[in-house]
Amino acid sequence: MTRPLVGDLAEILAQVTGREELRATSAQTPLFGDGVGLDSLSGVLLLREVHRRFGVDVAAEDLNLDALATLAALAAYIHEHAPA
Amino acid sequence: MIKCVIWDLDNTLLSGVYLESATRPPAPDPVMAGVLEQLRGRGIIHAIATRNPPEAARYAEQALGHEFAAAECGWGRKSDAVRRILADLGLAPDAVAFVDDDLYERAEVSLAVPEALVLSPEDMADAPGWPEFSPGPVTAEARRRGARYAERRRRQEEARAFAGSRDEFLRYCGTEVTIGPAQAADAPRLHELSVRTHQFNTTGQPVAEAALRALTSSAAHRVVTVRLADRFGDDGLVGGCVVEAGPGGTWTVTLLMMSCRAMGRGVIEALLAWLARSAADAGAAELAVPCLVTARNVPLRLALAASGFRAPAAEGSPGPPRLATFTRPLAGPRPALPDWVTAA
Repeated sequence: MTRPLVGDLAEILAQVTGREELRATSAQTPLFGDGVGLDSLSGVLLLREVHRRFGVDVAAEDLNLDALATLAALAAYIHEHAPA
Repeated sequence: MIKCVIWDLDNTLLSGVYLESATRPPAPDPVMAGVLEQLRGRGIIHAIATRNPPEAARYAEQALGHEFAAAECGWGRKSDAVRRILADLGLAPDAVAFVDDDLYERAEVSLAVPEALVLSPEDMADAPGWPEFSPGPVTAEARRRGARYAERRRRQEEARAFAGSRDEFLRYCGTEVTIGPAQAADAPRLHELSVRTHQFNTTGQPVAEAALRALTSSAAHRVVTVRLADRFGDDGLVGGCVVEAGPGGTWTVTLLMMSCRAMGRGVIEALLAWLARSAADAGAAELAVPCLVTARNVPLRLALAASGFRAPAAEGSPGPPRLATFTRPLAGPRPALPDWVTAA
């Protein structure tokens, strides 16, 4: 179920960062730190888009933002918390 | 407190309808132009939301002699334009006023963005006398705010066209971050940051100027300032923090605040890395950042997460506003500090 979602999320990530190459972000690539380098600005844009598209407000529930560890973690989180 | 006014053009900031002008576009409305100028002097910034082609915004800038912080031109909903401006400038909805002569547009924005202050041009003529538009003493930094947003627009335009990582872009911009001890003279600006910052603020509490001045000479505290400049402009003092070297080898950041101007420019991450390095050098075992977690300081939580901080999960879900202490152990390799950061 969460598998196709990773592709959607990579698409969103590329959109909000304006970096085309992030379309190819794999499910297990760490989003923080080297590589993707998610920061406060791109992170907020990603969270906003996730909230808008999937109805899941990650920041309101996930204190440490563990859902942003990888796209797989984010996909799983959305899958678990999406409104029925 | 209003930080930004979003203006309609036709029959609001302009004394007529841009596209209906046969020969030359309508002149600025003298009353609204006067209000804009008065508010600019108080450090309030200005943006445009208009159902017109982009040329209309360029014309208004030229006619008013004012470079706007943001301009949304198009035929979509005004509330969407307002939301894009909020996101672009990193502002909360309750920090903006929206001015439009059209009753329908005002109703649409009021419904969709209920926190925004929605006003007719007639209301706006009186607004400079209202407390929402009177921010109290205005520092030189605040007075330059409008110009800074214009610099930001130019920086963002280049960023969109730039192919490369964020780090490469920061280098290309000639980014310079300077972190150093605060002087007593920094107290007014630090006070202002404590009042105005929300997205990067750990306490959400204004701190009096006198209290900050006292902290700069307190032996038990370190007050740190962060300055930011690049080739687009000098943003000056954009952030600061107060640190207590407590017992048990823990450095506690009792206040951390950063202007949203610094957002996306590596500055808060640089400060957190510098803090971890300084604490480790001083022999501390842990760096702690107590935080009043709110819906507005999500950017701060993102920066903390990206810098390896965690709060005890047992404390439950973050909202509504609640306290959590984010900590980072200092064992292991010291975090890297980019070479564009100078420790003064």
